[in-house]
Amino acid sequence: MTQYGFHFDGKRCTGCKTCVLACKDNKDLSAEVSFRNVYEYGGGTWTQVDGLWSTDTFTYYVSVACNHCDSPLCLANCSQGAISKDVDTGIVTVDPEKCNGCGSCVAACPYGAPKVNEETKKGMKCDLCADRVAQGEQPICVEACPLRALDFGEVSELREKYGEVAEIAPLPSADETKPNIVITEPVNAKPVGDETGSVLNEREIA
Amino acid sequence: MTTGFATAFNEITLVLFTTLAPSGAAAYAIMGAAMLWARGDERKRVGRALLIPFLVTLVGLVASATHLGNPDNALYVFSRVGRSPLSNEVFAAVLFLSASGLHWLYQFAEHARLRVLNALMGIAILASFAFVVSVALAYSSRTVVTWDTPFVPVALCLNALIGGPVLAIAGLRFARWGPLEGKAGWALLALSLAALVANTGVYVAQGANVLSLRNYLVSAEQLVPTYGAMVVAFCALAAAGLAVDMAGLLRGRGVSKASSAAASALVLAGIFVMRFAFYMMHMTYGISL
Repeated sequence: MTQYGFHFDGKRCTGCKTCVLACKDNKDLSAEVSFRNVYEYGGGTWTQVDGLWSTDTFTYYVSVACNHCDSPLCLANCSQGAISKDVDTGIVTVDPEKCNGCGSCVAACPYGAPKVNEETKKGMKCDLCADRVAQGEQPICVEACPLRALDFGEVSELREKYGEVAEIAPLPSADETKPNIVITEPVNAKPVGDETGSVLNEREIA
Repeated sequence: MTTGFATAFNEITLVLFTTLAPSGAAAYAIMGAAMLWARGDERKRVGRALLIPFLVTLVGLVASATHLGNPDNALYVFSRVGRSPLSNEVFAAVLFLSASGLHWLYQFAEHARLRVLNALMGIAILASFAFVVSVALAYSSRTVVTWDTPFVPVALCLNALIGGPVLAIAGLRFARWGPLEGKAGWALLALSLAALVANTGVYVAQGANVLSLRNYLVSAEQLVPTYGAMVVAFCALAAAGLAVDMAGLLRGRGVSKASSAAASALVLAGIFVMRFAFYMMHMTYGISL
């Protein structure tokens, strides 16, 4: 079985959110819904010693969509059997024919990946642009990134190429859902559970 | 500041469901047991009054169905019985309502067989236990840190043990069940009171353990800034309900229909407050609320 996943390069990302908008455009999403979000994480302080200021402030960005986890909690909690993980690609999708819009998937996912469409009242989420991937193309967010900070491919190959990191603040620990994401850590990356920073762009998250 | 008020308000039908249904099912089990011991006309009257807890549970279940965006797909819920806690909950609800509904209808048959009636009642009582436990466990999700604690299922079962006896007193009063004015009435109130004391303890412990949790977007304390006041309101409303029933028994004239109904309303209102707090508290360990 192939398992696809994303790579995110925190050393390249400038937080421009082209990935977010390309996805919104391609999937025709409303302003309130994003399948991909860019989190701005920052913190630190300025201190003055003997008249000299020094600082340990930091900011970095993390772009996250659905990680098509090995243990997807959205799937585990779906009472309808409407969420499935494709055996050939590892892509996690919602079947609108079975979904009843109850929102258990939304409640369970620690990455905020599934949403309920307010018009159709059905669950929806990133499907890794399965149609594009089937035609040999990249997901639209990967192709759109002007900094080439996103990559896509078979997750074992991504791990070989970029390493094994799958969690940094403000993401949750990877232990529970085993996300298929590979992260190149940004400068000043903080570990999961770090308490020196906070999400600075909460109102931009949809 | 982000509070969980909007989350809970969006799920108001689930707040209502989890308030009414567990207490309704517990009241059904209590009244069912009373019916099995009763004889003659009294048995008939209690049997008919079972409609009260049945309807309370049914109203709760119907309310919960309205939060579905696409109720027409609802039957798929049975495809995940045994694997999804939510499926188990719906399955247990359907089992309980079918058994209790069948029992209620069959008792009016001209030559209803006692054994069949008793068997249906036995199944309904067992199903009511399964139902309460399944509602208690329906919200267990490892990623939702504020819900993934033993306090949540224990509190819900205790809710049912507070509301169930009080609602059963109302039902049995409407059925003019004799023992209610004696020891049985006190026993039901004692059960409810004990559950109230235990439940308050569980809520205090939950507050001490859960309110300090936070993720990168919000803390549980921000989500439920009124937690302490809500526990106090819960306690006061439920205690007031119990006091109304007790006052009737103390006067020696038994509980009146009106006061037993008022007592139920007060106790359920108290439970409602804490169910609302529960939905306000929803928070994952990740980057979603």
